[in-house]
Amino acid sequence: MRSEARLGWYLVAPALGVIALIAIFPLGWTVWESVHLHELRMPWLGKPFVGLGNYAELARDPRFWASLGHTAFFTVVSITLELFLGLFLALAMNRAFRGRGFVRAAVLVPWAIPTVVAALLWRFMFESQGGIVNALLVDAGVLRQPLVWFIEASTAWVPVILADVWKTTPFVALLLLAGLQNIDLVLYEAAAVDGANAWWQLRHITLPLLKPAILVTLIFRTLDGFRVFDLIYVLTGGGPGTSTEPVALYTFNALLQNLRFGYGSALSVVIFAITFGLALLYVKGLGVRLGGEER
Amino acid sequence: MDARWARSSLLAIALALSACGVGSKSAVNKNQTVLTFSGSALGAEGTLVAKQLKRFTQLHPEIRVDLQRTPDDANQRHQLYVQWLNARVGNPDILQLDVIWTPEFAAAGWVLPLQRFGPSPADFFPATIEANTWAGKLYALPWFADVGLLYRRTDLVPNEPRDLTELVTDAHTTMARPGGPRYGIVWQGARYEGLITTFVEYLGAFGGRILDERGQVVVNRPEAVKALQFMRDELYRTHVAPLDVLTWHEEEARFAFQNGNATFMRNWPYAYEPMSDKKQSRVAGKYTVSPMPAAGNGVGHSTAALGGAQLAINAYSESPDAAYRLIAYLTAPAQMLERAQAVGQYPTRPAMYDDPRLDSALVIPLDQARRAIESATPRPVTPIYTELSEILQIELHRALVGQAEPQEALNSAASKINVLIDRTGMRKLMSGGTQ
Repeated sequence: MRSEARLGWYLVAPALGVIALIAIFPLGWTVWESVHLHELRMPWLGKPFVGLGNYAELARDPRFWASLGHTAFFTVVSITLELFLGLFLALAMNRAFRGRGFVRAAVLVPWAIPTVVAALLWRFMFESQGGIVNALLVDAGVLRQPLVWFIEASTAWVPVILADVWKTTPFVALLLLAGLQNIDLVLYEAAAVDGANAWWQLRHITLPLLKPAILVTLIFRTLDGFRVFDLIYVLTGGGPGTSTEPVALYTFNALLQNLRFGYGSALSVVIFAITFGLALLYVKGLGVRLGGEER
Repeated sequence: MDARWARSSLLAIALALSACGVGSKSAVNKNQTVLTFSGSALGAEGTLVAKQLKRFTQLHPEIRVDLQRTPDDANQRHQLYVQWLNARVGNPDILQLDVIWTPEFAAAGWVLPLQRFGPSPADFFPATIEANTWAGKLYALPWFADVGLLYRRTDLVPNEPRDLTELVTDAHTTMARPGGPRYGIVWQGARYEGLITTFVEYLGAFGGRILDERGQVVVNRPEAVKALQFMRDELYRTHVAPLDVLTWHEEEARFAFQNGNATFMRNWPYAYEPMSDKKQSRVAGKYTVSPMPAAGNGVGHSTAALGGAQLAINAYSESPDAAYRLIAYLTAPAQMLERAQAVGQYPTRPAMYDDPRLDSALVIPLDQARRAIESATPRPVTPIYTELSEILQIELHRALVGQAEPQEALNSAASKINVLIDRTGMRKLMSGGTQ
């Protein structure tokens, strides 16, 4: 038995080694960098140990807190919209109709487009007073005159969130559709026999049984939303000012533009801690639900 | 990576074949000094560089020069250089620096001071030398210059505006005319380096500066506030500039001007040639350039932002003397003239501007180009320029989009730049440097 256990360890050792190499080692290095002053551009500063100095600077940095706020705002708003729209799409696609396979494939097209390309597309539509969005809204009488969308924080968020919703809703819909297909149709038949209408069926059968799928979706999307980078980098560059700058863009800026390895690493560690915390929270939540339903 | 290898080996084969003997000899000769030259080498520029390097090795058979292609994008090249130099790599021996990098590389000890090689800085435009000088020492030689220009529709405004007030008046008059252009003036106002170059020109026009000669932050002084207020007024009060410019880079401004939508445009010399093409431009033959004017009433002076490339020697190079010889060769009048003829880049030597051959090589009226380069001002010459610029980009943009008042935004910029100066030990470095 003991030798079998040893054999087991031998067998997983390569996998553990790979994990250590690609996950734990870089993480450890980042933590180590984050307690040093390390400015690649300023070798005259040396590379002294500064303890929690970088974290203290970060705590006092209004731009960091603002970027954290932007990230949370973006994540909450876009995920809420995606979840509602995705559920709607999933329910529609779950029905039997002609050409269902084609529709399911077609819906995925936005998801298949690279984010940078999608972002450029959306920027193109919103950019300039003669852009298509301005033209449509002015023609429809919604706007009296064309808007310059990217120079005001409130309007700059519109293309950002629309682009994300457009691109990611299909993915959400597909995850939810998979969940829907696991629900036993007999339940609906029984409910119908008992006289339950469609709304009642949705509330008391579909949604409760869909919870695991919804939670999986939430995990994926929250972690994605928290790391949002390319979309905003291309669409607004974080502007106007820094009004739409998410924390990943700020980190990129500190780390790769300004080459502040110490401070940038501290930022990365904080992002890691937050996403890790969120993931833990969800996994725990998910585990409980799954356990509850497995009866 | 593979593609690059394939390309460079193809290049090597081509060079060996065309060099007929020079190539094969170089492989054998052990006494040869080997230099690596790096820089942007795309298209016509690449052909030109290869040609000039080959000529140099024919003049100096004891030196072999390898061309190392680096990304054309300035940010990427910067990142690559910083990585190499942090690792103390001696290759490439010669670095192509953007005009705003020299102090950074100098303060970091990554490039060699040039005094001991006996350069003659007096032969170059003063602004280009100032940009390459850190703590009293010259670290790079200007290779070619780029400079901000005011483009003007000559069919609408025949005479160059004397000052900014007249520019706004002219813009108004032309916009009011039936069938006149929609915009008075367009510039680069998106939150990026281009915004700094635009601002530097208005700032100089009002007699302001970002840092003074002792390195003190003066960007929140009244002159600077006036300059920023003027830019804001163009957007919101006099309405000569469209709000769109706050999202525009060089190309968007060029498209607007080229489609006949603007009377004036702030842009770099590159825009001149494409706009003269009748097939894509509605303003072909109807525009000219001049330096940006001063604010007027004896305030400030006509100012152009300075851009361009410099050549410097890697501090870890094994053959700095040979490297300097190559830099001296590439920045000599003959090579600069050839560069102007082949790729339209502006020589950094004022004496050459009297040469009729240069006049026929460049598309922009030579006297205007010269006036602009003479009024050129380097952006702050400091090792912390990149971060300083980022702070300023954000605060300027905040003021221009209306998130903050000009004074408030510039105060905030000044205090952040001061924090940056303290954090990076610049005060010590500056005082130590000037002693």
